[in-house]
Amino acid sequence: MAQVFPKWVDSIPKRLLIGIIIVLNGVVFGIWYFFSPEFTHMGYAPEQPVPFSHKQHVSVLGLDCQYCHTQVFESRHANIPGTQTCMNCHGQLATESEALAPVRESSDTGSAIEWIRVYDLPDYAYFNHSAHVNVGVGCESCHGRVDRMDVVFQATPMSMSWCLDCHREPEKHVRPVDQVTEMGYNVANQLETGRDLVAKHNINAPLYCQSCHY
Amino acid sequence: MSEEVKQNSYWKSLKELSRNEEYEKFLHREFPENASEMTDQVSRRSFLRVMGASIALAGFAACRRPAQKILPYSAMPENMVLGEPQFYATGMPFQDTVTGLLAENNEGRPTKIEGNELHPSSSGRTNIYHQAAILGLYDPDRSRAIHHNGERASREEFIDFVREHFSDGNRRIAFVSGENSSPTLSRLRNQAESAYPNAQWVNWEAFGEENSLEGARMAYGQRLRTVPHFDRASVILSLDDDFMNPWAHKNSVINAKELNEGRQVRSVEDRMSRLYMVESNFSNTGSMADHRLRLKASEIETFARALAERLSRSISGLNAFSSVNNRFTDHDWVETVAADLLSHRSESLVTAGTFQGAELHAIVAAINLALGNIGQTLTLHELPHDSGRTSVEGLRFLTESLQAGEIDTVILLGTNPVFNAPSDLGFPSALEQAGTVIHLSDYIDETSRLATWHIPHAHFLEAWGDGLGFGGHRSVIQPQIAPLHDGWSDIELLHLIVDREWSDGYDLVRETWQSFYPGNFEQQWRRILHDGIDPESGFEPVSVSLNGNFSSEIQSGGTDPVQGIEITIRPHSTIFDGRFANNGWLMELPDPMTKITWDNVALMSPATARDLGISVERGLSERDTPVIRIEADGETIEIAAWVQPGHADNSISLTAGFGRRNAGRVGNGVGVDVYPLRTTDSMYIQSASVTVTGQSYEIACVQDHHSLEGRALIRKATLEEYRENPDFASFENVHGYPIPGLKEGIAEGGDRPISLFSPQQFPEHEPQWGMAIDLNSCFGCGVCTIACQAENNIPVIGKREVTRRRIMHWIRTDRYYEGDADNPKALHQPVPCMHCDMAPCEQVCPVAATTQSEDGINQMTYNRCIGTRYCSNNCPFKVRRFNFFNYTKEYLTTGDDPEIIQMAMNPDVTIRFRGVMEKCTYCVQRLHRAKLATRRETGSKKPADGTVETACQQACPANAISFGDLTDPESHVTRLKRNERNYVMLEELNVRPRTSYLARLNNPNPELTQ
Repeated sequence: MAQVFPKWVDSIPKRLLIGIIIVLNGVVFGIWYFFSPEFTHMGYAPEQPVPFSHKQHVSVLGLDCQYCHTQVFESRHANIPGTQTCMNCHGQLATESEALAPVRESSDTGSAIEWIRVYDLPDYAYFNHSAHVNVGVGCESCHGRVDRMDVVFQATPMSMSWCLDCHREPEKHVRPVDQVTEMGYNVANQLETGRDLVAKHNINAPLYCQSCHY
Repeated sequence: MSEEVKQNSYWKSLKELSRNEEYEKFLHREFPENASEMTDQVSRRSFLRVMGASIALAGFAACRRPAQKILPYSAMPENMVLGEPQFYATGMPFQDTVTGLLAENNEGRPTKIEGNELHPSSSGRTNIYHQAAILGLYDPDRSRAIHHNGERASREEFIDFVREHFSDGNRRIAFVSGENSSPTLSRLRNQAESAYPNAQWVNWEAFGEENSLEGARMAYGQRLRTVPHFDRASVILSLDDDFMNPWAHKNSVINAKELNEGRQVRSVEDRMSRLYMVESNFSNTGSMADHRLRLKASEIETFARALAERLSRSISGLNAFSSVNNRFTDHDWVETVAADLLSHRSESLVTAGTFQGAELHAIVAAINLALGNIGQTLTLHELPHDSGRTSVEGLRFLTESLQAGEIDTVILLGTNPVFNAPSDLGFPSALEQAGTVIHLSDYIDETSRLATWHIPHAHFLEAWGDGLGFGGHRSVIQPQIAPLHDGWSDIELLHLIVDREWSDGYDLVRETWQSFYPGNFEQQWRRILHDGIDPESGFEPVSVSLNGNFSSEIQSGGTDPVQGIEITIRPHSTIFDGRFANNGWLMELPDPMTKITWDNVALMSPATARDLGISVERGLSERDTPVIRIEADGETIEIAAWVQPGHADNSISLTAGFGRRNAGRVGNGVGVDVYPLRTTDSMYIQSASVTVTGQSYEIACVQDHHSLEGRALIRKATLEEYRENPDFASFENVHGYPIPGLKEGIAEGGDRPISLFSPQQFPEHEPQWGMAIDLNSCFGCGVCTIACQAENNIPVIGKREVTRRRIMHWIRTDRYYEGDADNPKALHQPVPCMHCDMAPCEQVCPVAATTQSEDGINQMTYNRCIGTRYCSNNCPFKVRRFNFFNYTKEYLTTGDDPEIIQMAMNPDVTIRFRGVMEKCTYCVQRLHRAKLATRRETGSKKPADGTVETACQQACPANAISFGDLTDPESHVTRLKRNERNYVMLEELNVRPRTSYLARLNNPNPELTQ
């Protein structure tokens, strides 16, 4: 009787096995790699109740970050400003703008504007803005070029390994404290100046768990 | 090494002492049988029920979407830095005293109570009631609306009713209030009494200071408050006065602080006061005493008479007792204590327990006067708010007036007499005779159910108020938050009734205070708001002489000791007279001596138990606690019997406050109500007959948990022994041989025992945290546990879970007995995480969730923990706590108001979830805050000594806990660790704990053997 199956059929189990291994590995790798904050969280740009443009206010008008985020050097929060801060100018400028209606309402009634949080760390991770800006970690290092954003989006992964990259080698990232709010800061000899700043500010970025998790 | 220093005779429970087989089995299981399941539906339901108010302190798990919102202020308040807590002065009223406190506010919500250093009733320290007040504020069971005949009603309806009802100035009104020292309330009371000439005012406290005032009247001819100053006394005799505990004394915080100051020993030259204690139950103060005599409560007065007689032989002023001859006349105690008191005239102090009769207080008052102590170790003060009669007299008068139909309107400002009035008065049925009953209270409680109008009471953190400290210092109670449930304060309600117009508490308090500072009110007011107190105020000391008819008063009065079995009724150590029954933190705080949670029991001595036919050694396990029936004056209760070593024979101690019917979800039906036994004739002590019912009951006691198998964990010596051998607490002196491996360690060039592991190197720029706990100061009150619970978001788990030994407290207080079971000594040892440098828990964690930080903290990383519990198994100190369930999340899905509960949380501490281990962190969130602040100011990461305190340390009234940076050779904690008395538990394990202890000292009188 002739062979029902040709000879190459014998190799099917082997090929199948190898194929499954490759596919499974691919799936594991895919999940491990692509389900990380770099892909799931970066670029998150929720629609805000007021279409506030950082680009307009920073690049065009030249406001410093601290005009609104006043407490960033003292507090763990870089506070969202009170409505009064908006009304400093918008009490006189664009007073009829429809986009600003929620701001005027908040100012009139005292109710809060409900901003959507963009950078949202897990509750078990404690981040302190003042600890970072006071030793020369620029706003830009974590929040990206806010001066170019019409709508604020998450510019960095905010994953633990990303935090640790800087905690392990702060000299690659630090800048003089008076330039932390500078956008587009760039020096040719970052490593050299960085090392000087690390020594000057006595920076010992902690790597133990409870520096952030407690 | 002297024999006395041998440290092997400590025990924690009778079962351990008898070491039976069952006990061995019990110990060797880390968790009891079926501990890892929650099977039966009934228990699961009751578990959910007890989760009620308190357990449920919870936050939301982190999730990316749905989106979180950020709600900034519309107009940012000045001086507020978001994320940084703000502290404002306030004060907690308790009966007629106010203790000055600071409230920590996070973004406008109070989250933690701390002591106010400027306030002489606090001195920066607190007691358990102060610490637990935060949970009381956010209790979702608090009353939320005005009710009219049980139906919700609006504020306007009530105001309209008041306008109409009180327009008749001839109304026969009875005002009932707790003892209250508020100047504003006094002012309004005067107005009320002139606006309604037929009104009467009654002060009702179930457990007040009245006997002490009455005793002073008998001895000195006027009702005066006795303020003790324990730091000025060298010899102290306490007659049934547990003055260090808040349930027994209104000034307990300062008493504990001052007693400790007089007994602090830092070197062999230091002096130490001597404390004698005579009492029936074993109290915390009794466990601190150098000598303790157990007597029936009703015999203590007899003892005091014999002592007064002995003293009268040497000093004048006690002639009234010269003819006394009773069974204590030849007692060694009378002779020795009298001699000791006589050799310390004007630096001795005799105190009498609040819940003893007025006669004992009178005898003690006369003794203090004769010894020249007045003005020295104690001062006497007139109370401006004293009603002049006892609570019972007032309530009896009110009941009779009600029964006679002489009252048409009863206004109750915050008391609960339907629950806690003496049973023979028949107050509840009398109250029904009144046409209108208006009841202001925190909860819709037993009294509110009989009221026509119920008004929700504003918590003291929600409303303006004022009051006087124990020493009379005028204090302002400043609200920290607007009323959560539209509650009213007592002054607001009273003002509405007087004036028939609404006025805010703020204006009422200011109006009162304006009269105190006529010249520069605004300036003074701002300073007082900031400090919380007017430091220049305070009661003036009164000088006294012996009352002319003292002899006749003291001889005609006097109670004979109870023949047979006596029962004593006292407030409970944690929930007081029942007012804190719905506070889960207090319910779950183990009683400081019995270590029982969630229940009250009848305490008796081993001998009495044997007499009653209750087996002492066996049968007293937690599951089958025998129930006894107590009958007194025709009333009967059934309650679990508990053997208390060191209790007086033929005496049974009961605590009131349990068995609430309308307390809220936490307190309802927990324990046994003993108020039915209480009558107007015998408020505190009475005779009773007792029988064993044959039934049994389960008690949740944490006594046997985590037994340490009798190792040398506690070390103590007498002052004499310490002076001879200051190193008595060292390992070598205790054990008789050096620490194993020390020789080899020294040979290798170190100063510590040799180890297999290479020790971690700690960087120089980091502080190195360490703690020292002085066992000579700790008296076991448990305030550290509650403060820790408030600071670190620790859940309450309920009775059933406690019986499964899952209690979550990060700092526990172990109580050890020493010596014979009938009359042992007791010692307390607070045990938080030891933060070992070579921690055994770290070595067994498969996922490295627990590791050592660079500043020496044994850190627990919740987000890494997978819940193997290996670490807990390998911890020699048993300080790790495991979340067997989502103690917090359960409530969030079933609860009715999760947002209220979330407000109580400390935003700086993660909420732990099911399957995660947790334990003491040395309050790492406070350490980080201090490190960052120091770094911003100085560039260094090492906060100055004293600028950072852990929650337990900050709360401790006895200053037993010291904490700080060990790299600073002059820090307080480093100096203590250099003290000879310093030792670490289980040093032979070479785990190198960061938490160490200072050995206990006692100062016994060599003349007295007992």
